[in-house]
Amino acid sequence: MKKIYNILLTLFVLTGGATSAQVVKPAAFKVPAYEKFVLPNGLTVYLMAQHEVPVINVSAIIPAGAIYDGEKSGLASLTAAGLQYGTKSYTKAQIEETLDFIGADLNTFASKESAGLTAQFASKDQDKVWPILKEVLTEPAFNAEEFAKEKKRVLLGLERAKESPRSVINSYWDKFIYGDHVYGNPVTGSPATVEKLTASDLSGFYKLNYQPQGSAISIVGDFDPKAMKEKLTRLLSGWKKGTQVQKNLASQPIAPLTSTRVLLVNKEDARETTFLIGGAGIRRDNPDYVALQVVNTVFGGRFTSWLNDELRVNSGLTYGASSRFTPLKNAGTFAISTFTATKTTGPTVNKALEVLKRFHEQGIDEETLASAKNYVKGQFPPGYETSGQLASLLNQMFWYGFNESFINNFQANVDGMTTARAKEIIAKYYPANNLQFIMVGKSADIKAIAEKLGPVTEKQIKADGF
Amino acid sequence: MKKTLTLFIVCCSLVSFAQTKADDVKSFTLKNGMKFLVLEDSSIPNANMYLFYKVGSRNEHPGITGLSHFFEHMMFNGAKKYGPKMFDRTMEFNGGSNNAYTTENVTVYTDWFPASSMETIFELEADRIASLSIDPKMVASERGVVASEKSTGLENSQWELLSEHVSAAAFVVHPYHWPVIGYQDDIDNWTKEDLENYFHTYYAPNNCVVVMSGNIRLDDVKRLAEKYLEPIPAVTPPRPVHLVEPPQMGERRVMVQKQVNTPYIMAAYHTPNSRDKDYYALDILNYVLSSGNSSRLYSALVDKKQLATSISSDFSPSFDPGLFAFYGICAKGVKEADLENAIYEEIEKVKKDGITAQELQKIKNQKLMEFYSQIATINGKSNNIGTYELFFGDYRKMFDAPSEYEKVTLADVQRVANQYLKKSNRTVGILKANVEE
Repeated sequence: MKKIYNILLTLFVLTGGATSAQVVKPAAFKVPAYEKFVLPNGLTVYLMAQHEVPVINVSAIIPAGAIYDGEKSGLASLTAAGLQYGTKSYTKAQIEETLDFIGADLNTFASKESAGLTAQFASKDQDKVWPILKEVLTEPAFNAEEFAKEKKRVLLGLERAKESPRSVINSYWDKFIYGDHVYGNPVTGSPATVEKLTASDLSGFYKLNYQPQGSAISIVGDFDPKAMKEKLTRLLSGWKKGTQVQKNLASQPIAPLTSTRVLLVNKEDARETTFLIGGAGIRRDNPDYVALQVVNTVFGGRFTSWLNDELRVNSGLTYGASSRFTPLKNAGTFAISTFTATKTTGPTVNKALEVLKRFHEQGIDEETLASAKNYVKGQFPPGYETSGQLASLLNQMFWYGFNESFINNFQANVDGMTTARAKEIIAKYYPANNLQFIMVGKSADIKAIAEKLGPVTEKQIKADGF
Repeated sequence: MKKTLTLFIVCCSLVSFAQTKADDVKSFTLKNGMKFLVLEDSSIPNANMYLFYKVGSRNEHPGITGLSHFFEHMMFNGAKKYGPKMFDRTMEFNGGSNNAYTTENVTVYTDWFPASSMETIFELEADRIASLSIDPKMVASERGVVASEKSTGLENSQWELLSEHVSAAAFVVHPYHWPVIGYQDDIDNWTKEDLENYFHTYYAPNNCVVVMSGNIRLDDVKRLAEKYLEPIPAVTPPRPVHLVEPPQMGERRVMVQKQVNTPYIMAAYHTPNSRDKDYYALDILNYVLSSGNSSRLYSALVDKKQLATSISSDFSPSFDPGLFAFYGICAKGVKEADLENAIYEEIEKVKKDGITAQELQKIKNQKLMEFYSQIATINGKSNNIGTYELFFGDYRKMFDAPSEYEKVTLADVQRVANQYLKKSNRTVGILKANVEE
């Protein structure tokens, strides 16, 4: 592989249409027509017909993410997975056999703020699938025997994840940046907390947080919207409104980052150092969201970005260097992300810091800005090509409270960027001091480098949690 | 009953939808032998260009292992008109992005761009195919990049390390013996001359198939191909790979030490290449064993016996006979021998009793859904059209795949299980913390 961008750089790959300055001619990219309605129980439904292939995609979003874990870290994630351990009328095996037989996919999962369900199936099979989806979402049984088996797998999975720095560094990062705020909760939990969970913890969490009034379901694909509306109204109106009001835990204040800190995570057998440098980022509803995408494209969001050009192309220190903003509803983080052989850790950190400093000093010139605008517009439409992608977009609109103008005005918003505005954006959102560092690597070889950066806290990767 | 009914519905849905058909793909070949496959699709204002070069690590020999992959990197490092860095800068300025990948069999370059930038993409590709320049400074920094790529793979994936060892043991003659990324000593030591020879041998228009999909018109593609790519001369076709792996004479076993929590197991059997008549039956066997939680292996080993926390199998298209491989991770406290034997137990059941009609129909249904996923995006279309053209000899086979799977019978699946999944034909690899016990 030439590049790792597709794998590692997932956040700011939301990108652009096509207009500009010198070369790229505009081609309109608009959100296809859809219908939105709310059931009496408060569930929001989006329907969008798409007939390219005889397939239907379903995507649901529920306010039941890891921020509601409390002391029981990992509970949201196991509850979401547990939706599939059997329901009122189907065992786990029956669900799996029925869906596998028709080549249908069903995933249930939790993220930081929300839980989700996605499904894909042939339109001809929808009457076999809908009764199952309905029960998975609204009448899960949380079978204790299935949970016990899953818990064992999850516990080993958590230990195994620590064999790979890439799969755990973001959990360390969120805990390091957000501290005790609920955004610091690791979605996966840790062996110590997961060990204590029971099937009744799952049903308790479900009762409290899986409520139709805060949730949405989007259906995109090959169907007749009128018939689908009737079907869904019939199927999901019975999902009872929750009685308890969820606390808005995420709106709690986050402790500001007032000094430089270094977290060194020791991995005895590491052959390289994996690291993140950064600090606070933005909320998803930040009015500069699109402008920041353009600016970050230049800094660390594409192959010719300053970071990748300096750390990879010019110096051969790494296979890839990038930067990303990870926005949530109430806060976000920013991170420069790269990795390098243990012996080149020092020069790589220094170069990354030099690039950040230079970005603040120089800003973006006209030609680079024109290039970044073309790039984000040109790469935008493939992000919204399939029914699954469109269903996810509709849920995001619901969750973050934006509408199709985000897509439809994207080109215009990108085109509105100027070099002067870019300079302001850099000064405002890219940290210049009080930088935060995480290094996962062999402490004996890199601790001296870490200590030059700031006060070091050391953790052992094999220790529980993050 | 259920089976017949599903079959009937499947047939109907195949003909009643206005989705992409084999005849929608248009083909032409330039005078220099470069073949084009073009699919017009206006669903988004974008397009892509996939260049499939018939060169991979199977074309290497000890001394230059990893050169195909290294070359893939060098193709971005400067040519005559567009010097170092200018390929990416120009493409990104025009709204395009790109990537590339190298396997044992092929090297594939992928460009994704707004359709309005198509001419620039042709110019960029023509420049590097016609006149790549190999700058020693770029070679030096790229060696570091590839060393980091190799190291980060080994740092983050146990399977990469284990499968390197298993392939090295399973293939003693054929070049599938070494890893695609190559040996570090070769990465450190190949010369500029090695790179130049490689370029002139394999990067010829007649060794390449180009696939394009998106909001483009066949006439424009043809005009630009004739303008930019046809002037590049054909070269003598490269020597075919003549090494044939001899039949394996008995089970082979390898052990690998790594600080992991529980053992990782891989068991791999020699199987024919993707043009063989048994390909579709073997692929169905692969799915019956490990596709989905209702599959034989997941259901028995992960769910019921709880010997493994994950289990999978892989059977991928290849130019030369390759491997049908099983991958499992032991649950806590489980001995690797117990998991290994449990995998064989499931294989033996299929060999003795075959699979059920319900299972066969399940996989056929899954294959049809997979086909829909492949054609849901312009990138899926190009990648799969090219893959079928190279690995199966004709892009039309992609559209025939659902019906090829339909033809496979229960007896076929049982026969291939008996023919290929034999002890003497397998190589087993175990990766674990303590290899001294």
